[in-house]
Amino acid sequence: MQALEARVVAPRPRFSRQNHPYLMAAVVFLVLCVVNAVLQPSFLRPGVAVSNVAAFLPMVLVAAGQTYVVLASDIDLSAGAIVSLVNVVVVSIIDGMGGTGASVALGLTTGVLLGLLCGAVNGFCVAVLRFQPIVTTFATGIVFAGFALWVLPEAGKQVPAEFYLAYAGAFLGVPTVIWILLGVIAVAALLARTRFYHALRATGGNMQAAYQTGVPVARVRIGAYVICGLFSALAGLSLVGETASGDPLIGGALTLSSVTAVVLGGTALSGCVGGVVGSILGAFILGLINNVIFFAQLPFEWQGLVQGVIILAALAGGVVMARSRRD
Amino acid sequence: MRAPALKPMPVLEASGVRKQFGGVIALAGAEFALEAGEVHALIGSNGCGKSTLCKIIAGSVAADAGRVALNGKPVVFASPREAAAAGIGVFYQELSLIPEMTVAQNIYLGREPRGRAGLVDRDALREAAAGALAQFTAVLGGRVDPETRVADLSADQSQIVEILKVLAANPRIIIFDEATAALDRNQVDAVFQRIHALKAEGRSVIFITHRMDEVFEIADRVTVMRNGTTVMTRPTADTGRDELVTAMVGEAIAGRSNRARHAPSEDVALEVEDLNSEKLSAISFKLRRGEILGLGGLHGQGQSELLRALFGATPIRTGTIRVGGQPLKPKGPRKAMRRSIAYISGDRARHGVMAIRPIFENLVVSLLARDRRLTVARRRLEGEIAPIIERLKLKFSSLEAAVSELSGGNQQKVVIGRWLATKPTVLLLDDPTKGIDIRTKDDLYATMDELCSQGVSIVLHSSDDEELLSVADRVLVFNGGRIVAELTGEERTRFALYSAAYAAGGTDAGA
Repeated sequence: MQALEARVVAPRPRFSRQNHPYLMAAVVFLVLCVVNAVLQPSFLRPGVAVSNVAAFLPMVLVAAGQTYVVLASDIDLSAGAIVSLVNVVVVSIIDGMGGTGASVALGLTTGVLLGLLCGAVNGFCVAVLRFQPIVTTFATGIVFAGFALWVLPEAGKQVPAEFYLAYAGAFLGVPTVIWILLGVIAVAALLARTRFYHALRATGGNMQAAYQTGVPVARVRIGAYVICGLFSALAGLSLVGETASGDPLIGGALTLSSVTAVVLGGTALSGCVGGVVGSILGAFILGLINNVIFFAQLPFEWQGLVQGVIILAALAGGVVMARSRRD
Repeated sequence: MRAPALKPMPVLEASGVRKQFGGVIALAGAEFALEAGEVHALIGSNGCGKSTLCKIIAGSVAADAGRVALNGKPVVFASPREAAAAGIGVFYQELSLIPEMTVAQNIYLGREPRGRAGLVDRDALREAAAGALAQFTAVLGGRVDPETRVADLSADQSQIVEILKVLAANPRIIIFDEATAALDRNQVDAVFQRIHALKAEGRSVIFITHRMDEVFEIADRVTVMRNGTTVMTRPTADTGRDELVTAMVGEAIAGRSNRARHAPSEDVALEVEDLNSEKLSAISFKLRRGEILGLGGLHGQGQSELLRALFGATPIRTGTIRVGGQPLKPKGPRKAMRRSIAYISGDRARHGVMAIRPIFENLVVSLLARDRRLTVARRRLEGEIAPIIERLKLKFSSLEAAVSELSGGNQQKVVIGRWLATKPTVLLLDDPTKGIDIRTKDDLYATMDELCSQGVSIVLHSSDDEELLSVADRVLVFNGGRIVAELTGEERTRFALYSAAYAAGGTDAGA
């Protein structure tokens, strides 16, 4: 008799948090947009919107990369340091070679390769040597940050005007930063349809079962770290475009905010559940919270407090929704 | 003792396979041959090595010595991936599904149909899964479609999805390790139909089950294992139930060490009536004061679940539990502890010791938890545990030494001592002697006898059948979450135990 009871399976809801774990983030995002628009009437003007996207883009990129690592139930605490390292290396190469076209090409290529290499180092330590992910990437992050300081001890140096003008400019009438954002979404959509992505979620969902099924678990985990390295490198490049100079400390805060964005976006730290779309929304939420606080003209000493409370509220909303689904 | 080969070359042959885990010999030269188009049952008592042999064939455990040949060619699989590539599919008893992924994603994990640009073709994936599910629609019950999350499936549905997942890889050799455990009769029939079709295609099946009637129903041949070796391989048509059980149990049955009987009183210490949970059905029994009640049968038939349910560590659906005549609502271990119930697990690392903490802390933690003491009156606690340390003959350098410095046996003594400190009247022992040496075991048996003579009642689950039969006054035999037999007095033999353990139980669940 109990077996009969147990076998009743609810018909699948067509549209639910279970299929779209980022729903809560979308709601919070829209609410923050409304609040922001009320406090800052120019918020919806295209120019302001684009400059907001440009400001949030580095965090969006790191959060997108972090998502893949978290889906495999790992974590990358070196992402921000990779951003800094790539940022200063690229600026140093371009500056050192006199800002020629060739130097820009070489700088960008080196930056991307460096990000991939950092990710591979993380992945090797975690998946092959089986080091504990949090501690390992915390340590490699210190190493990467140390390298960044060694390459460029102080913020400075310059990239040619063409570089940051192109970044701030437009292509086919659409701003470059919007192209990049669309590119991230397109890449995420493509990746989500690969076998790799299924293997990644399986690895995060139940590593032992994935291994027994023949999923190459170590390769998958390395892959996730390499993707995170790549996205962190892109964030470093976008910061070059944004600031037109190098700063060895620029990425520091991005590590934890990327993890926060990932969690706000509905991705479970235990792996398997979630996706990049949510993390992008999460990054926007974090950015908009700062905007709201700024335009609400809160006293400076209140800002941190309010920011923390809003993040907690957004997280609580997600948790409540997840629990109500389970019951 | 290998049966004469039916055909010139078996598709799979294992010979002289040896494997040792620490000091325990799991396989001591196992022989096994599988023909094309054959269903070959593999049976044996707990710890006989059948699971280890299958894991070696499946590439998840490496053999110490011996030879495994596939179509005559020797092979060594470094991982399940390599074994799968060679055409070996495994149904894992504990299932290899990802709960948060859908049925379709699970069935085709790693072999998703791909379309343009090598991307996963989601429509094709859904259709393929719908096709696979269609064969079992009639018996799946409830609505299971390709998009259902595995976490939302019941135990039997998950098991069928695991079967479909194994078959989706199109393996030539399939190992079914307890693939029918949670299934009802109609579902088993549907699976057997499928196995007949696989046979007709020339595929081979290794079939592990705890139901003897299934052996005769589906298998062409049967191999019996005992103590890490293969003792018999026979066509099922040429053998019978009793012969198989005798082969499993061995000749040594007469030499059962019959220890001193306890003298239980007529008082009932613990009474369970019609207890049901996710893994238990209709469990009823009475435990008398000063009695040792054994829970036996093959691994994982609900024995541990029962002990944990009595302790309030896993939820129950219905049923009543009475301790000393008064009903107990099992809501968490502390409630059970207040009613003088103690639970000791043999899985020390997971449920037992706090390895890096001092012996003292490990000994008093149960007292602290039960009484919600805010402060630790060290002197008084030391006084309370001193007689226990003496009784258990616990040896250590200092009470401040970390538990991890002790041997496995002494660690287990610490865990037992922790519970004795709470002066329990009912002791639940979940495979307490797993991995400890014989002398420590004897100490534990002596302690158990002493406790019984003082009126403590013990429920003992053990995967060591000798221990169970010699220590317990009565043995309840579990099969598929039910009690299928009760062995008392002279009935407590390995033969009776395994006759019952392989009985047709649980097949009518859900009917």
